[in-house]
Amino acid sequence: MNAHLLLDSLSPVSGSILTNGVVVAVVILLHIQIATFITGSTTLAAVSEAISMARGDDRHERLGHMLLKSWVYLFGFGSATAIFFVVFVLSGLWAIFWTALQQITFWVLVFEAAMFLVEIALVYSMYANWERLRAHRRARLGLLVLLTITLWWQMFLIDVVASFMLTPNGGDVNLLNQVLNPTQLPLTIHRTIGNLAWSGAVLAFVGAFNYLRLTRRSGAPQPDAPAAMRPLRSVGAMAVGHLEAERRRTEILHWEWVTQWGVLWAVALTLLQPWVGYSYAKEIQLHAYSAWYTMMFGDLSNVFLLQIFLLGSVFVLGSLYFWRRMNRSGAPRARRQLFLAIVLILLTLLAVQPAWFAPTYADTVAAGLNRPWWQGGLLNPIGNFIPFKASALIGMVLFGLWSVTSYATALSRGHIKPGGSGRGAQRAALLLGVVISMMMLVMGVIREHSRQPYLINGEITLHQQITNTAPSVPSLQQSQP
Amino acid sequence: MSSWLTRPITTRLRAGMEWFDDRTGATELLHKGLYEAVPKKGGWAYALGSATLALILLQLFTGIFLLLDYVPSVNEAYNSLDYLRSSDAFGAWVRGLHLWGSYTLIFVIGLHMLRTFLSASYKRPRELNWVSGAVLFFLVLGLAITGAMLPWDQAAYWTSVVVTNIPHYIPFIGDGIRKLLRGGDFVGPITLTRTFAIHVWVLPFLMFSLIGAHLYLLRRHGEFGAWVNYDTDPGEDEEKQIGERIRHAEPPYPAKRIGRRYAAPRETVPFFPNQLFKDVALSTVLVAVIFVMGLISGAPLDGPSNPATLSYVPTPEWFFLPLDQFLVVAPTNPLIAIAIFGVIGLGAALMVLLPFIDRSPERRPLRRPEVIIPALFMAFTVIFFAVLGINRLYNL
Amino acid sequence: MKELSRRDLMIRGTGLGMGLVGVMLSVPAIGFLLSPLFTKQRTAWVTVGVIDDIPVNTPTPLVAQVPVGTGYPTPPVPRVVYVVKKPSGETLALSNICTHMQCDVHWDPALGNFLCPCHGGLYDIDGKNVGGPPPQPLAQWNKRFHSDAQGRTVLEIENVLDESI
Repeated sequence: MNAHLLLDSLSPVSGSILTNGVVVAVVILLHIQIATFITGSTTLAAVSEAISMARGDDRHERLGHMLLKSWVYLFGFGSATAIFFVVFVLSGLWAIFWTALQQITFWVLVFEAAMFLVEIALVYSMYANWERLRAHRRARLGLLVLLTITLWWQMFLIDVVASFMLTPNGGDVNLLNQVLNPTQLPLTIHRTIGNLAWSGAVLAFVGAFNYLRLTRRSGAPQPDAPAAMRPLRSVGAMAVGHLEAERRRTEILHWEWVTQWGVLWAVALTLLQPWVGYSYAKEIQLHAYSAWYTMMFGDLSNVFLLQIFLLGSVFVLGSLYFWRRMNRSGAPRARRQLFLAIVLILLTLLAVQPAWFAPTYADTVAAGLNRPWWQGGLLNPIGNFIPFKASALIGMVLFGLWSVTSYATALSRGHIKPGGSGRGAQRAALLLGVVISMMMLVMGVIREHSRQPYLINGEITLHQQITNTAPSVPSLQQSQP
Repeated sequence: MSSWLTRPITTRLRAGMEWFDDRTGATELLHKGLYEAVPKKGGWAYALGSATLALILLQLFTGIFLLLDYVPSVNEAYNSLDYLRSSDAFGAWVRGLHLWGSYTLIFVIGLHMLRTFLSASYKRPRELNWVSGAVLFFLVLGLAITGAMLPWDQAAYWTSVVVTNIPHYIPFIGDGIRKLLRGGDFVGPITLTRTFAIHVWVLPFLMFSLIGAHLYLLRRHGEFGAWVNYDTDPGEDEEKQIGERIRHAEPPYPAKRIGRRYAAPRETVPFFPNQLFKDVALSTVLVAVIFVMGLISGAPLDGPSNPATLSYVPTPEWFFLPLDQFLVVAPTNPLIAIAIFGVIGLGAALMVLLPFIDRSPERRPLRRPEVIIPALFMAFTVIFFAVLGINRLYNL
Repeated sequence: MKELSRRDLMIRGTGLGMGLVGVMLSVPAIGFLLSPLFTKQRTAWVTVGVIDDIPVNTPTPLVAQVPVGTGYPTPPVPRVVYVVKKPSGETLALSNICTHMQCDVHWDPALGNFLCPCHGGLYDIDGKNVGGPPPQPLAQWNKRFHSDAQGRTVLEIENVLDESI
């Protein structure tokens, strides 16, 4: 690497590893939650706009507009965190590492930055002209699709940098090998799906929050509405109350629908995540073995169990939401959802069995306690039986699929009554939003923590020492030994 | 002088044709074949079916030519294909046609299946069309995988090892199946001859029988007609419109009222020339693609088989990449093997038995979430596994 | 008892005849098809080579020409024998056939494991499966040692593995 000369002239940075790390964690986790929401929700908005065009569905139109407004508020803030991160945190606290990484992935980062220009132009021109473009809906859809593509590419490019840090291919800086490094495509697919699920979860959260807010006091509409809300004063108190109730009912219906739309996206897309995540983990196992070991058997294994627990919770909460909705609407086979929820709870419990009840396996072995508990050891026979866990994951996916399909079928048959949600379903949806948000945080912590003590795996340590002791894979003879 | 010597040639030809027609009924048969009513809409989508047939026949054609040189023996197979490649002027091209024909066939048969699925053509009374078609799909995949094992180069040898090892994970009978496929514990001479027999006789025999059944059933019930044909004008009496259509129905569409699901397409055209033109056009384009790709890309031939390598990776064909990636993520302890075979077996069974699961008369895709959602899930899984598989092999 | 008509006799006769033909054809056909299940493998011992120079704890691939042992006789095929000398003095003759899909595994010094590149299976130096999909440890060749004229240790293997994988 020609980065050496430059790096030697840089003085070491101040600040402890811990505080610097905490700063990184806070800023980047904040940035990720915003950026992934924007990236995922553009797809949702484009789909909504297309449906609204095809069916003339006002709810989708309203949803699309709401999302657009949310991007305008969030985009500036999200970009500001990114700029703060690059300028102050990385360049200030992690200068040596960042200079090296910036030089290696120079072109990737240039295109990454260029994407911001396109996005800002698209977001603000759509925001300013949303109503005007109502007459040209194809153009509006086209702009949304363009924004979706741009944001996806930006994510793709930052994934190149992020995955390169974990699997740098022995420091291979060739641009193509950089872009197609072992964990790049798995990460990109994992994130593409995750962003959509996360956006759905945000919608579910917002919809449920508003629904619960509007139905906080059940019963008759409030008679003493603020004066400003009473445009038809002359019609009389009865009519105003009626109008108010009507408006409130419309609002409740809308948010109830938003929740449902969000829950369906969140749960349905999370169904794909175990497949992709498993493949991702396999690539880490093959190309960054120590990081994989840390995640699966080392210090992070317990955090990973939390992640699996959250994953199971997504499916359980989804089926509970579906159950409440179907049950309150008197839909046929509503009890099936309850049955599925119970099965999913059992599968989750099976999957989160820790492989051992000790911090690390090495400790267990050192203490001579690597025996099942009935022989006085620490091993948990169910958790230790890894195939059980893989079966539990497969089961989670299949039963979750059944749950979603079953609800969607009831929906398409008209068995779900609009306005008949009840607060229980909405509470489940609210929790779903929180759970998926936590999953994003936990996954971020796992990914960033797993490659310690390296910043770029095998290349630069946490103390910003360039080691270059990349696991040098010797060339294996192809033919006869 | 008898008159037959002086008659003009055209008259004599006509007389000859009449004689032949009288003995065979060829004209009637031809008319029956050519002038059947087919739906006016969706003709290009139906051309996928005939393109599949054309490509299967192309495989038969090029396969026969490959048999002129190929020897199914562990000592000779590689040499015969090496000769075909290096010394025979057109040999490499013919082998290229066979390979690219198979790629195109699998792509087109997939599209054909997708079309049938999305338009819900598999519903009553066409359930068995779907079942025979789905089995044909699996037979084609079987032909592809056995074909990949025949050249007995490195790729073929290691593919044979992996493929014949997969059934070994079936509980109880798996080991026996592996032994039968291999003709022993290890891949050896019997493996190649058995594979050859399966590729050249067993699977084609089953396939052409099923194609006959598939075509017979197609002609019995007629082309389904795109689902839009079943839409009725809003505001008018639906029953009346369908009644009108049935009254004008031509065979094979039922001319008497049996219910909405049997309703004839809104408008029909004769098969010849309207549909046949589209069929021929699509097949021509596909054959042209194969013709060109077979010449410029051809079919690869690795080094001769060598069981003593240290890190040879048999790269699966693109259509088996998702399955290969599935093998990567699926642990294979005895317990989980049951689950894995359960999942894949369940998927295959659901695919074949789809018409008996989804029996509602509903045809619109968005109104059938009970099949569309699992299908989308399967489709995304397959696509992601393919991409992840490519990524894994690239970074090996 | 009902009287057997001429027609019934013919119907039953037809059925019986077809059934007989079916039985006569299927017995040899099925037997032929299943014959590999009952055929014994032809076993043979082959020499792998001198193993004196192989260092301890360093898996070393040697190649032996091993007869296939099933089907009609064909020339022997090359096979890899990974010789692993343990500090305890024990010598392993591991096959390099992955127990997952029988791809070829190799010793990867960086991983400190045997790696199967096909689907990422991992085995430790004793051949125990420690990662990835493989369900079992690497099989060993049936082995024996003898001293040659110069007093060196020569490894011989039989063309069967110590367990069915």
